[in-house]
Amino acid sequence: MSTGESDSGEGLLRSIVPPTQVERVFDFCDAHAWKLLLAMVVVGALPPLLGLQQGYYMTVISEMYLFAILALSWDIVGGQTGYPSFGNMAFFGIGGYTTAILVKDFAVAFPVAMIAAGLLAVAFAAVIGAAVLRLRGHYFAIATLGVLLAAQQVSRIIDITGGASGKILLDVPPGTVFYYLFFGVLVAEMAVVYYLSNTRFGFILNAIRDDEEKATAMGFNTAYHKTAAWMLAALFTGLAGGGYSLFNTFIDPQTAYNGAWNVELIAMALLGGSGTVAGPVIGAFGLHTVIEYVETAFVGWQLVMLGLVVIVTVIEFPEGFVGTLREYAGEMEYYKRGGMAAVEDEEVSSDE
Amino acid sequence: MAFTQFVVNGLLIGAIFAGVAVGFALIWGVVDIINLAHGDMVMLGGYTSYWALSLITGNAEGSPLLFLATIPAAIAVLYVVGYVLQRTLVSRVIGTDIFLTLLVTFGISIAIQQLAIQAWSANPRSIQVGFADPSINAAGLVIPKMKLVAFVGALVLTAALYLFLQKTRTGRAIRAVSQNPEAAALVGIDVEHTRAVTFGISSAIAGGVGAFIATILNIQPQMGLIYTLKSFVIVVFGGVGSIPGALAGGLLLGTVEELTAGFVSSQWTLAVSFTLLIVLLVVKPNGLFGQEAER
Repeated sequence: MSTGESDSGEGLLRSIVPPTQVERVFDFCDAHAWKLLLAMVVVGALPPLLGLQQGYYMTVISEMYLFAILALSWDIVGGQTGYPSFGNMAFFGIGGYTTAILVKDFAVAFPVAMIAAGLLAVAFAAVIGAAVLRLRGHYFAIATLGVLLAAQQVSRIIDITGGASGKILLDVPPGTVFYYLFFGVLVAEMAVVYYLSNTRFGFILNAIRDDEEKATAMGFNTAYHKTAAWMLAALFTGLAGGGYSLFNTFIDPQTAYNGAWNVELIAMALLGGSGTVAGPVIGAFGLHTVIEYVETAFVGWQLVMLGLVVIVTVIEFPEGFVGTLREYAGEMEYYKRGGMAAVEDEEVSSDE
Repeated sequence: MAFTQFVVNGLLIGAIFAGVAVGFALIWGVVDIINLAHGDMVMLGGYTSYWALSLITGNAEGSPLLFLATIPAAIAVLYVVGYVLQRTLVSRVIGTDIFLTLLVTFGISIAIQQLAIQAWSANPRSIQVGFADPSINAAGLVIPKMKLVAFVGALVLTAALYLFLQKTRTGRAIRAVSQNPEAAALVGIDVEHTRAVTFGISSAIAGGVGAFIATILNIQPQMGLIYTLKSFVIVVFGGVGSIPGALAGGLLLGTVEELTAGFVSSQWTLAVSFTLLIVLLVVKPNGLFGQEAER
């Protein structure tokens, strides 16, 4: 299903981009991941230095980094551990309100307020995780969605959040600060996720995704590992939210606990390829570009477009961009071995 | 006395929640997916009835009989919508990762929502039925007539679904597919068609209840998600695939919400139902009438 083109189209594709080349790129990326990350830091640091200080593109790129943080955070639990959360935006909202309240009502310095945002989100994740991480599958998905909506509802009622009308923050740092802030958090998160995915910790997360009973039976403390992953996701999501409320100069229940964003960030991780480091980031950049275009070109239809993008992605490319490419590169293995091993064995089991 | 009044209100509204939830429970039990677009079927049903009435009378006002005549329209339209959605989109992700199915139905949900906003604007609307005023006063209790009609309507639809599943050939096929799709296919049941019929029936009931909702509460394009989540709470309470469970769960949720609204504040009803959901999930994930545990 994921290689949905016709035979002639695939033949053409294969002659232009042979699977061996793709495989070589993957090998190169695997071998030089840290250097690539360093290169990304250099390239990412450039735009503001080249005079692109303010304006539309600066904002759009900052938002791309923001979404990449959110998508990658979702993937730590959703993609690596296999717990499909629909409530990650709860951490974002808590982070956002924490900085907004600390900066505006208590005159706390922004960096301190942002760290507090991250820590509070982690604490919230620890408490909520103790309850919801005992659930699996549909139950986990809906319980997390319930957490998100309950958090939104509470922020609408209580006073300290400014109720339904929210808070306006006028005294905010210039745009470049947020550019580097989101970029810095993203790079740090990519480094952490990449590092973890090569450690015992990361392997245990993947073992939980593949077969939790077996992982438990093998003696791994699955409860500890999934809670730790959940708190790590909350940390980065909370930091992103903490930056966002000032970046946006405004926070209210609707923007802080944005249910549509929650779907967007899952779609981003999926579109790029969940369970990888580069996938969610690539997906975030790609989908945010599409959404940004759609929002200006088809005002009032962006959710229809988002819905269609999500549906088509999920049906046609369940492995995402990186996963589909890897599958394509993997075809070579098949020819090399010359065996009858099914390339897409998961497709056989998906139909009854 | 206030307590009794709140409980009565809760039961009246709870039957409506139950009517929405039975369809949700049915899809979950038979097709094994969580349909996040279920609440949007309620919304579409409300609008179908609204427009059918407007087409006949020129505005969305009418006699009780005229309003009841629009219910079959809502049911028929939503049956087709549900059947087509299952056949074209949902069937393609059944049996894959569960959250792919969640995303597909959520994608359908947000697309329908915005299409509805484009078609009918975000303004809340409601159906005015002529005989609604004054309310019935009995034994010191106030009972709005339309709430009573909606209560009876939701119960009738739920009972009809129950009888359909028990008595008809299609109903038995649906139950067979829910118990064991492979075995059902072996004895000659068209599993794909049966699942689509299930989806259609589930949407049709939701649409019919949506029409009743339009007479007592407002309908607007973004109302769906709340009904989906309430259905989830109810099904978790009553047990996956269980219609009596959904009915009991709906009545309970309605009562809890009305008591919260009455004794605390109506602002807290949502937060209370979601907290109830999480507590229920943690304490009793199988539901009161539930059969199977996970998934």
